[in-house]
Amino acid sequence: MQTEATLAQADVSDLDLVTRCQGGDTEAFDELITRYRTRVFGMIYNMVHSEQDAWDLAQDSFLKAWKSIKRFRGRSSFYTWIYRIVMNVTIDWLRKKQVKGGGSEFDDSIQLKEIEPASKTVPKSEALPHEMIERREVRARIDKAIAQLSPEQRAVILMKEIEEMQYHEIAEALGCSIGTVMSRLFYARKKLQNLLRDVYENI
Amino acid sequence: MKTFEEKWTSWLDGQLSGRELAEFEASLPDKAAAEAEKADARRLGVFLKRELGAPALTNEEFFSHQLRDRIRQSSAPSAPREAKASTWWTIPRLLWTGTASLAVFLVFTIFVIRDKNPAEESQYLTQILNARVDPVVSPNATVSMFEVKQDRVTVLWTEGLQSLPADYAAK
Repeated sequence: MQTEATLAQADVSDLDLVTRCQGGDTEAFDELITRYRTRVFGMIYNMVHSEQDAWDLAQDSFLKAWKSIKRFRGRSSFYTWIYRIVMNVTIDWLRKKQVKGGGSEFDDSIQLKEIEPASKTVPKSEALPHEMIERREVRARIDKAIAQLSPEQRAVILMKEIEEMQYHEIAEALGCSIGTVMSRLFYARKKLQNLLRDVYENI
Repeated sequence: MKTFEEKWTSWLDGQLSGRELAEFEASLPDKAAAEAEKADARRLGVFLKRELGAPALTNEEFFSHQLRDRIRQSSAPSAPREAKASTWWTIPRLLWTGTASLAVFLVFTIFVIRDKNPAEESQYLTQILNARVDPVVSPNATVSMFEVKQDRVTVLWTEGLQSLPADYAAK
């Protein structure tokens, strides 16, 4: 529920809020969280395929952002800056998980929950049961295909195709060169084309 | 100098223009196949965009509330806790523990040494045990030893000796 204060803050730029955060204003940071929590959560979810892990990693990312907000110089947008933190936290977590070999990357339990696979991009309509099953199967195929990419490739393809970020923004968020971004995008696309062609050609 | 992968990605995303575009397209061995792959990659992009909707963050307010709590906790002064933790394994405490361990070790060692003092053994017994009974000289010889620790007495019982061992001499 939006209060008058939050409505008034809607016109305030990210940079203004960041400046207030740097002065220790937690309410300003709260506003930044409200603006970006859904996108950050969604991005992480598509990387880790688990709601609980995405929640925890989003929390860790925002907490880290708060602790290092004084180092934000404003050379990039706040969104790009927080994405860099999100990517560091998430890629680090994925690498640790790979090293530990902790279970399957793909969380099948997610499929049993009430998730609308296309809820963010397609106007919601009442899907028939068989359509729901089909959607879940498609989503499962995509998740499995993405799980076969390296954490960096996942990040790049999701930022490009889902977030529609520019090469330089992705490079900034990942702390690498634009050439590296394009190269990772090349291999990520090739891999996903091979793994998913039969799915997207039939839809 | 861009690699092929970089040029291909730029071309696919419509980022090449002018001379760079013309040069790249001229370098393609099969332009029709490349165009088909470009279309295929774009289909993949559209497909991912459409299907990859993350589940909505259902408890948004709780998310923010939990985060506020964590921020408050992280900002709270933690000096007393650190001070308390840092006093536990200080150098004096380590030294004290080491000295106590050494004292316990020494006490146990002294007990063990006292209990097994070889000087308390009889000289005779030592001598006789070291001597051997010659089976040719005393074929029926048997030697038995009895020891009563409580009274600190050891009895050596010999039977069937034809003669005493040559090196045995009562002192």
